[in-house]
Amino acid sequence: MSHLSRRDLLRASGAGLLALTAGGALSACGGSDSGSSGGDAATGTITVWSWTTAAEALRGVVPAFEKDNPGIKVDVQDVGNPAIWDKITVGLAAGGQGLADVLHIGCDYLPGYLEKFPGGLADLSALGADGYKDKFAQGLWPAVSDKDGRIRALPWEVNAQGFFYRNDMFDRAGIDPTTFQTWDDLIAVAEKFKAANPGVALFGINKSGTPSPDLDFLQSLMQQQGAFYFDLKGDITVSSPEAIRALTLVKRLDDAGLILDAASSTIWRSQIKEGKLGANPLASWGAHWIESKFPEQSGNWRLTQPPAVTPGGKRTAIVNSTHLAVSATSPRRTAAWKFVEYALTRPASVNSMFNAGGVFPALTAAYQDPIYSAPNAYYGGQPVLKTFADLLGQGGDATNYSGDFARALKLVNDAQAKVLTKGADPAAALQDAAKQLAQQTGRKIK
Amino acid sequence: MPAPPPSRRRAILRRKALPYLLLAPALVTFGVFKAYPIVSSLLLSLTTGSGANTRNAGLANYRKLLDDPLFWTALGNTARILVVQVPLMLALALGLSVALHAALVRFRTVWRLGIFMPSVTGLVATGVVFAFLLDTDRGAVNSLLEAIGLSGVDWLGDGFWARMAVVLVLTWHYTGYNAVIYLAGLQGIPKELYEAAMVDGAGPLRRFFSITLPALRPVLLFTVVLSTIGTLQLFDEPYVLTRGGPDNATLTVSMYLYDNGFRYFDFGYASAIAYALTLIVSVLGAVQMRLMGERE
Repeated sequence: MSHLSRRDLLRASGAGLLALTAGGALSACGGSDSGSSGGDAATGTITVWSWTTAAEALRGVVPAFEKDNPGIKVDVQDVGNPAIWDKITVGLAAGGQGLADVLHIGCDYLPGYLEKFPGGLADLSALGADGYKDKFAQGLWPAVSDKDGRIRALPWEVNAQGFFYRNDMFDRAGIDPTTFQTWDDLIAVAEKFKAANPGVALFGINKSGTPSPDLDFLQSLMQQQGAFYFDLKGDITVSSPEAIRALTLVKRLDDAGLILDAASSTIWRSQIKEGKLGANPLASWGAHWIESKFPEQSGNWRLTQPPAVTPGGKRTAIVNSTHLAVSATSPRRTAAWKFVEYALTRPASVNSMFNAGGVFPALTAAYQDPIYSAPNAYYGGQPVLKTFADLLGQGGDATNYSGDFARALKLVNDAQAKVLTKGADPAAALQDAAKQLAQQTGRKIK
Repeated sequence: MPAPPPSRRRAILRRKALPYLLLAPALVTFGVFKAYPIVSSLLLSLTTGSGANTRNAGLANYRKLLDDPLFWTALGNTARILVVQVPLMLALALGLSVALHAALVRFRTVWRLGIFMPSVTGLVATGVVFAFLLDTDRGAVNSLLEAIGLSGVDWLGDGFWARMAVVLVLTWHYTGYNAVIYLAGLQGIPKELYEAAMVDGAGPLRRFFSITLPALRPVLLFTVVLSTIGTLQLFDEPYVLTRGGPDNATLTVSMYLYDNGFRYFDFGYASAIAYALTLIVSVLGAVQMRLMGERE
């Protein structure tokens, strides 16, 4: 998969012993971080680091770009995910040595890079990025700005949360998920759903969070309320009323017998395949993913917006995004920026990449294209992409992953595991997590 | 006395410099890849932040360590695995090596190869294979347990069993390695001792406790210290099997160190953990040497 996906998302952080042994050498160069050693050449060969299908899609833009920009050659490299995170981290820690000119960076890493390696990514405001402020899906601009409001990356991919469901199963139970207003409406019909579909649950969650954390659903419930592990100032909000409400909701869904333990992503996939799960709270990448992984279930799936957490609450959330940044030490920052601008701010480019790699564009002008309203036979003729474009139109709240996202993720994962496997109280588990997070990061609990 | 001719003087010079010249590659490599990182990480442990944000923190990282529940959890897990795994594995290795040493075993080379094979297997591959074997729903181990009428175990989802899974993998992986060391030790014990003991009417058990064990003492010490150090640095197996879960039941000190350095970019804190671990390893090693070592 080209983009951040459930469970694969944070495997990104894993490296190996190699990195461990490289530790001494790596840290030794850490002090020489300088953002000014690059240059602003407007021509030459620029290298781009991305991964799998996204890299392939990006390559598709290169011929047109090179034709329109004589003097610039582009070399797109598929570094692989998660390898790319280690490469970028090591490069930034080494003061920008060995980095590509253009870097594809996920929303979960970008704030960390900005916090820990200020000056590592080029200031795109200086190159003219500010003019694109209103061109992207709402909620993304704060994520690409540093603490001084300078733009350090341009949004490429955005994933809004959707609620995929098995139409056949809900039909059998006589329930129409599009009528749900809140998650409570769903819990209210749990017995009816289970009676009509024996042995079927709604969601699969890795309850113990082992070996990888499984918090996408919980996070989306927080994000629907405009909350996350940190607020925009960087204070800890892991134990906020919104977070407690979200984890309590997960617990209630579990208590209602709607959550199956998916001990690994392989098991989760086979649960979907075997028809043991009636729903899938997935982001926009899920549309293509379900269709390609479970072709035999064609016609059974539908998509609707997720129910709100509280009555009248938001029905949308931007669960993740990826971006292109320019390395500050690139000797060809202007040329690199030209390519980023060309690839990400023109509907023709982003849509050609969407068609090639399934990376849902953040550029709102792109949604005018007829592909977004085309009916999809797999989803019973439903125009699934339109649902996501509409969801993005509602405006997601900005999410601050912060430089301590990985820590927060771990501690919240522990909290969710305690609640789902040991029956812990959600509020107490989250308060404990917040306390530990504060101890480890020195951040304030809001 | 006339001065030696220039050519001889050069020869002496060469003779003096030669050892250093020959040692240089090793010394330089040691300096760059061992000594420098050791010193560098000590200095690093006194800082906080990273990149341009690095600033001096004095002993703050060490103070933070004392208050960090996750560090203590990791240390506790490591200790528990150590206490169960090392004696279990070494006893098993000793038993195996004595059995393999016995003259009546046929195809000895094949058996020896068999028990040594696991220790040449890549650690990550081992973890991946065991993750398959120990899968709660579809794993071979649980299928086997159920086939003989026992109930399956939630190997990786339950804290206690996850630790047992790590112990199992470690034992599988390193028993043969230690058994081979013991075999070498056994081969060094003079046969005459056993012959004399047999003449005196000592049974096999008596011979084991009165001859084999005392003779193996230095080898035993070596394996105990080595296994202790190895287990304290435990990383790969739990990393691949459980990523430290469930609920931190298999989080080890090395894994916590790795997380802090390479996932949280907190190299200063990670270095402090490394030095804390070094201290623990040295103290434990010294204690073991003292308790088990030859008494002069």
